[in-house]
Amino acid sequence: MKPVRALRRPLAPYTYLLRNAAKTVPLVSVIVLAVLLITGIVALLNSIPLSIKTIYLYSRESLGITPRGDPNLTPELIDQVREGSPVPIERVMTCRASSGTVRSIVGKWPFVVLGLTQDDIRYYLRRQGVTQIEGRLPIAGAPEGIISEPVAKNLGLQLGSAMVGPANADNYSPKPVKVVGIAHSDRWIMLDTIEYQRKNHFPPVDIAMVFAENLHDQELLDRWAEKHFKGQRAQVFAYHILEKDTNENFATLYKILNVVIGTLVLVITLMMGLLINIYQSQRLVEFGLLQAIGHTKRQLIQRVVSESIMVVVLGWLLGIFIAYLLLLLVKARLMEPNAWALNAFDAKAFAYTLPAPLAILGVAILTVFLRFRKFDPVGVVERRLV
Amino acid sequence: MIEARDASLVYSDHGRDVFACRDVSVKIGDGEFVGILGPSGSGKSSLLYLLSGLKTPTQGDILYRERSLPRMSDEERSRLRLKEFGFVFQQAFLLGYLTVLENVMVAFEGTPPRDEAVSLLETLGLGDKLQRKPHELSGGERQRVCVARSLLGGPSVIFADEPTAALDHKNGEAVVDLLNHHRGKGSLVMVTHDETMLREADRIVRLVDGVVEGDVEALTRS
Repeated sequence: MKPVRALRRPLAPYTYLLRNAAKTVPLVSVIVLAVLLITGIVALLNSIPLSIKTIYLYSRESLGITPRGDPNLTPELIDQVREGSPVPIERVMTCRASSGTVRSIVGKWPFVVLGLTQDDIRYYLRRQGVTQIEGRLPIAGAPEGIISEPVAKNLGLQLGSAMVGPANADNYSPKPVKVVGIAHSDRWIMLDTIEYQRKNHFPPVDIAMVFAENLHDQELLDRWAEKHFKGQRAQVFAYHILEKDTNENFATLYKILNVVIGTLVLVITLMMGLLINIYQSQRLVEFGLLQAIGHTKRQLIQRVVSESIMVVVLGWLLGIFIAYLLLLLVKARLMEPNAWALNAFDAKAFAYTLPAPLAILGVAILTVFLRFRKFDPVGVVERRLV
Repeated sequence: MIEARDASLVYSDHGRDVFACRDVSVKIGDGEFVGILGPSGSGKSSLLYLLSGLKTPTQGDILYRERSLPRMSDEERSRLRLKEFGFVFQQAFLLGYLTVLENVMVAFEGTPPRDEAVSLLETLGLGDKLQRKPHELSGGERQRVCVARSLLGGPSVIFADEPTAALDHKNGEAVVDLLNHHRGKGSLVMVTHDETMLREADRIVRLVDGVVEGDVEALTRS
């Protein structure tokens, strides 16, 4: 006998989906679009706090303390840290700082230009993991500075450019401070010399920067300082405080996002519910015939539920994959040229999409059960229902 | 083999009870070809649905090999239909997204016997149309696919509900001939309002208003 092509199991759930692409594709596409939309919104929103944490990541390496009300308190504050620190301290440095800005996806953000001694600059860069510098270090007191690669990208600076200057309202300095070195690092760094800062910037406040001997102990030191200086005439700058503040500030935004996503899921689920209902109505003859010839209600429900699961899982996986590709594209074309942070494989954004397929699956299963609850195959074979 | 004992089927029509079948008692033996004849609305199809377990009687009992169909669970009745019974309906119901061969194979639990399905379709003159989709077939060919589907797995009983109603006379007779060939392997119960289709029947049960008219044995063809 000539071999004949036929499916081994004609009633396997994938058969209907594969042979009815005109119905499967719209269902899958709606889920893909929903996942794409939710992932895109959440990932781009996530990129804002991520950018904050990335831009100010340099502060994870040290504890910053400034006096309040009296600029002469800095030595006393340093003494307190030396005496009370719960972890060994590797270095304490005094620096000056002036304010600047960097560009973010939501506008200008404040940034700090630190003024350090040359020796401290070397230590600071080493501590930030910088192993290579293009150019050189700034000369003490000269209007020269060193920046890192992300800052150079973000502000469009190169060797010889003025990183701050009199004509730049956002990054002001009485003299144009030329970039003489670019540090190869993903940390955001802007440094000039303490001598230049003392001569040209106000207010005349020395900042204490304290480095724990062991990087793993830095947060312990930071938390101790936060607690110790509470209520004192000192302000503590530490990465964990920045992280906490960022998370708190964005909590409300995420609540709003939850409402938006919830509404979106509801709309998409209703739309899909209608589509599923229409498609199932078009299959009444199939259900009636199969039940009449002896396929059990349970088998039919299992089959339709399996089909729904396949559509939803396929749509979700495709949506995640396409969203990932799209985010990679956005990152490469829009974010990275400006050194903005974006996590293309954002697990939190992907997790946000889960309510959509789950709600759609829930509606699909509910529709199936409601349809089969009182379904009478005789109505079909007698052509009363079709 | 199959027996209806004082079986009644009552529909509720706007609160009023309507008897589709009333106290019907019929016996169908092994290998018998029984025709159920009657005018439109006489309860022929309802009786077929009762005998095949598609409907459960409001009163009375239906026995298949001494087992009561109404006492079985819905799932047990379904499995019985799939394993023991074959069905041909008035309309040639086929699944549009499956081929002719696959449409026949759906009438089997587990992995369907493909060779048997091919052989049946070849016997019914559809050997060259195995890979066609239902919309590519004529009405007669579609009904022949339904006949092949009903024969797959060698059922004990084939229930045919007006299988020729949607066909011209020639195609109708061809379908009845095909079904009639099954008699050697099992019983055939055919509902029709066209007496000429029951020339080969062993017995004819005549229904009027849901009641068997006269004595069933007395109507046996000789």
